[in-house]
This record gives sequence, C-alpha cells and structure tokens, in this order.
Amino acid sequence: MTTTIVLQQAINGVVFGSLYVLVALGLTLIYGVLVQINFAHADFVTLGAFAAYFFMHLLGAGYFLSIGVAFLVGAALGWLINASIFTPLRLKGNELLPLIATIGVSVMMQNLMLTWFGPIPYAFETEYSSQVIRFAGIFVSWQNIIIIAVSSVTIALLYAFMKFTFLGKALRAVSQDRETAGLMGINPNYLIMLTFVIASALAGMAGAMLAPVLVLTPFAGTSVIVKAFAIVIIGGFGNVEGTILAGLIVGLIESYTTQFLDPGLIDIVVFALLLVMLVIKPTGLIAERREENV
Amino acid sequence: MTVTFRGLIARVAAVGFLAASQATYAQEKTIKIGALFPMSGPGSYFGAQDKQGVELALEQLNKTGVNGYKFVVQYEDSSCAPLPATQAAKRLIEQFKPDVIIGEECSDATLAVMPIVEQSKVPLLNAGSSSIKVTEPGNPWTFRIMPNEVMQGVNLAENAYKRMNARNAVLLFENTNAGIGNAQVFKENFTRLGGKVLAEIGFGRDVNDFTAIATRIAGLGKIDVIPTYTLEGQGLKITQALAQAGITKGGGGDAIQIGTIWLPFGFEQKAGKAALGYIRIVQFDPTDARDVVKDFITTFKTKYNADPTHLNAHAYDQIMLIADVVKRGGKDPQSIRDGLAATKNYSGVTGSVEFDKTNQNTKMDTVHYMETKPDMSWTSLKWN
Repeated sequence: MTTTIVLQQAINGVVFGSLYVLVALGLTLIYGVLVQINFAHADFVTLGAFAAYFFMHLLGAGYFLSIGVAFLVGAALGWLINASIFTPLRLKGNELLPLIATIGVSVMMQNLMLTWFGPIPYAFETEYSSQVIRFAGIFVSWQNIIIIAVSSVTIALLYAFMKFTFLGKALRAVSQDRETAGLMGINPNYLIMLTFVIASALAGMAGAMLAPVLVLTPFAGTSVIVKAFAIVIIGGFGNVEGTILAGLIVGLIESYTTQFLDPGLIDIVVFALLLVMLVIKPTGLIAERREENV
Repeated sequence: MTVTFRGLIARVAAVGFLAASQATYAQEKTIKIGALFPMSGPGSYFGAQDKQGVELALEQLNKTGVNGYKFVVQYEDSSCAPLPATQAAKRLIEQFKPDVIIGEECSDATLAVMPIVEQSKVPLLNAGSSSIKVTEPGNPWTFRIMPNEVMQGVNLAENAYKRMNARNAVLLFENTNAGIGNAQVFKENFTRLGGKVLAEIGFGRDVNDFTAIATRIAGLGKIDVIPTYTLEGQGLKITQALAQAGITKGGGGDAIQIGTIWLPFGFEQKAGKAALGYIRIVQFDPTDARDVVKDFITTFKTKYNADPTHLNAHAYDQIMLIADVVKRGGKDPQSIRDGLAATKNYSGVTGSVEFDKTNQNTKMDTVHYMETKPDMSWTSLKWN
C-alpha cells in the first residue's frame, strides 16, 4: 500500500467529512437549544441543493452566488416553518408535538419536491467539477477544494459566533436554562427562531455543496442524514466541537473502509462505532456537561 | 332536515347519472392492468418513464379497443424494494383485481412480488428485472420480456474479451440481487475465456463517496474494462469519479466502462465528458429500421416532445404485448397467462418476444450495444 493512496483517501475522507459536518451542525444546534430532533433537516438540505441548481442553471449565475442563494433559501424556509408550524405547537406545551411535526414536514417536503422537480436525477455540474489538480499521484478536483474551504470558513465563523458574540452567548444561555435566560432579559422565542434560521441556512448551504457530489433527486438529503445523526450522537448531542470531530472521523472511516475493507461495510463500521460510543461514552467524543453544550 | 324542490331534483339527477355511468362501465368490457412501478426513492426515474410508455400505448389502444376490450391501468408505487412492492401488489390484487400485472423494474422487488401473483393466479409481465431467479426457477405466472442477467452477461463478457480485447476487469455493482448476479455472470464468463478480474467492489445504494472507490481502483494498475451495474444516479457519480481519477477514457486513462441494461438514454449528457467511450447494452435501439420502432418514436415525440428511452419502450411493449394476447382471445388472468405462454415471434419496439418453458423471452435481438462518442452522443454498435 503506497503512501500516495493513504494520503489520497485522507483527502477524500476530509471532503466528505466536511460535508457531513455542515449537515450535522444544524441538527446539533437545534438539539442543543431546543432538545428537539429535526427529522426534516435532510429536506432543507435537498431544497437548498435544488435552489442552487436552478439559480445556476436557469439564471446562469456563478456557483458561489448559488451557494449564497441556497443559504438564504434555507434560512427563509427555516423561519417560515418554525413560525407557522413548530412555534405554535411548542406553545401548546407538549414537547412531542413539534418532534412529530418534523416528520410530517419531512414527508410533505419530499413529496412536494417530487412533484415539482420529478424523480429523474439531475446532473449538477459546476465549472469546478471537472477541473482536477494532479500532483505526485494525488488528484483533487476544484469542487472538492471549494467544499473543504467553504466548510472550514463556515465552521470557523459559526464557532466564533457561538463563543464570542452576544447572540451566541445568549443562545448558549437558552440551551442551559431557558427559563432563567428569560428572566435575565433574553427572549427565548427569538433565540429559538434564530437557531432554526441558522440551522436551516447551514442545511441549505450544505445542499449546495453536496449537490455536485451527490445524486440530486428529491431524496438527496436523505442519503446523508442518517450519517449526520450518527455523527451528532458520536460527537455528543448538542456539542459543536464534538460534531466537527465526529464528522471528520466518519468521513475518514468511509474512505479507509472503502480502501482496505469493502464499501459495503461502511455502514457496519460507522454504526458499530456509534454503538461502542453509546456503551462506553454516551456523552459523545468530547464530554461536556449538558449545560455547556452549544 | 328540509329538502328544497331544487335540491331534490339535483339529488335525483345525481343518482341517475351515477347509475347510468355504472351501467356504461359494466357494459364496456375492460382488461384491468395493475402497474407496479417505483414512483419514489432512487429508482423513481424508472416509474416516471414507464408511465409515459404505458400512457402512450393506452391512448393508441383505447381509440378503438381490442376485441371489444378497453384497457385500464392502476398504478401502485412499489419503490424498487421488496417490502413496498409486496404491499403494493397485495393492494392491487385485493382492491383493483387486475387481469394482469406489469412491473417491477428492480429484481429484488420483482422476486418479492412473484409468490403473491402466483398464489393469486394473476400473470406478471416483467420488462426490467435481470436477475436469473425471476425465471429460474421462476413460476408459471411470471413472464419476462427482458434478456436476463445470464443472456446479457455472457454476451457482454464475450464481446469484452473478443471484440474489445479486454484481458482484465474491475467489477462495480450495487449490493442487490441484480447487481451481484450480473457481476457474477460476467466474472464467470470472462474468466472462462481467459480474462482476469482484479477486484469486485460492491456497495449499497446509500454510498455517496465514489472518489474513494475510484482511488482504490486507481491503485490496481492498468485496467481494460470496468463492468458497472448500478442505478442512474450512482452510475453518474461513478463515471465522473473514475474520470477524475484518470482511470477511464473520459479522464485520459485507458479503461472503458461497460454495462448492461440499467441506464436510460440521456445518461451521457448528464455524465458529460467522463462518459466518453462507455459501451453498454440498451434494450431499445432508436436506429432500428422496423416500422414498429419508427411509429413508436414518432408518436412518442408527438405526445411528449422528447426522444423515447428504453424504459419508455419496454413499458410500451408490455402493454402492447398484453393487447396482442387479448387479440388472440385473452380476457381474464388464466387466458392471458396462457396467451402469453403461447406467444410466438411477437415483434415489439424493443425486439422480438417468444417465451421458453421458464417464461423467459429467448430472443437476443432485444440486446443492443451503444458507445458514447466524444460529443456525448452515442452510436449503435450492431454487435447482435
């Protein structure tokens, strides 16, 4: 086994790991603040992918602009669905209702997209998809370099936002104790909305990044969401740093399982890791107390 | 409750209209066709294109009817998977009570449905599943007009070895009955001829990262052919990843991707330059000079303003073959089954149909080879 192949698979793993992190971060943010699992998250990813596709292919816009549009579409949709469905259900005081509603939203969105966009796979090619850099036996497409770069910048900005800005600190306060944060003058409903908007925007953006790599159909997001859930659990529910680390580990596991074992074993290896984590370290890779998450 | 005179008249009229329409329906003899197509999930492109072919055939047949029969179709989403397919088949049989069923596309789904149709004694006409198990051992109620994986695989292996001078191969296949079966048939026949299989790489339908698979293949050295068995979506990504890794012709390498009846026309345009040199079997050759093919292409273009794919063609053929059986006296499940079994040299759009004792179509003129050209169009290789 040559060093070149090991290095090449490391690059492949980081590319997919970055994409998984982008998808999983939205899930972990929502869980961290609301203690709610959003089953519709995959469909926000898919809609972001289609938004970028149509913006690029119908209006002739550049890929970077399309990523921005997907980000905005995700944010707008997150606001709309939270305001019209999740918030009214949450106000009824039953935590189960919004959770069930996310399943309903997911099924509804998938079928709406199936009606609008049809079942035939779209080929989302960008000007960077076929441009490949080859160096010392290593190859990497510009598309993959963009994925790593945009993901890294986004993750860094999100991290800085959560750690150093007033709103980020307020979000963490709400995640620790919603009632007490409210007594301190923080409006929890506003921050819950902000969480949904950020998470959905990230999902939309992830869709735009994933679409040229994945098969773009109304079910595109579903193919990554199971892994994203696994990453969130491995990393520690609601833990941003843990999610980033777990995402990269899962990406690398996929690459090296493909190389040294068999791609058919990827899910077995990833979910075996998940089970091991649940048994020996149920708090996730980076153990923090619940109140310190997000 | 008060009922106005106008309301009473309206109700009486409605009841009368309902009774009249039921009487008309009862008088009109119909052949009820259940259609098990994947309408959701990764195989839903099959269902969308199958439906187009079916609708075109129905439009043509129901203008005049056949032997006094009109044709009605009930679609059910069988999702290219065993569980939803069995549920859909049971729904069809219990509620719609079809005279004949067409579908599924995916072998796993078809295999799951076969015991149900056998038990219910409703014939199943399949045009898209290649697994040998569909007809061997099969059952008396299941018929297949598509060449099975052995017919395709033997032919593909021989052409790879003899015409393309391939001496080694890497097999890429989805982990399904059809994917594994197709790959194994190719392997057995290619190695029997003297070829060598360097790697067999199977993957689930949820695998996204084909760059990792391409990297592994790139490490195997010079490769002649890469037989690939997967649905269109993953097929696109595999083709692009192999080109990016510099393995296939489309990426400046030597290897040629080859395949059987899995991908629709239009794949080349979506895959772009990466598909250069891809040689694959298609079930329908639009350059076929027979009148039945020319007429199909013309009427399809008129109705849908698009060129037909092999999926459109084989769905159209399924309905037209049923109509042919009805013309020969088929009127209920048993007589349609017997009529299908007695079919001799039926000429359809995809090729000829004549079933052997296992209900497998024996005609090889349904196997057409095409090669992707540099401008992403394709050329018919006329190898059969």
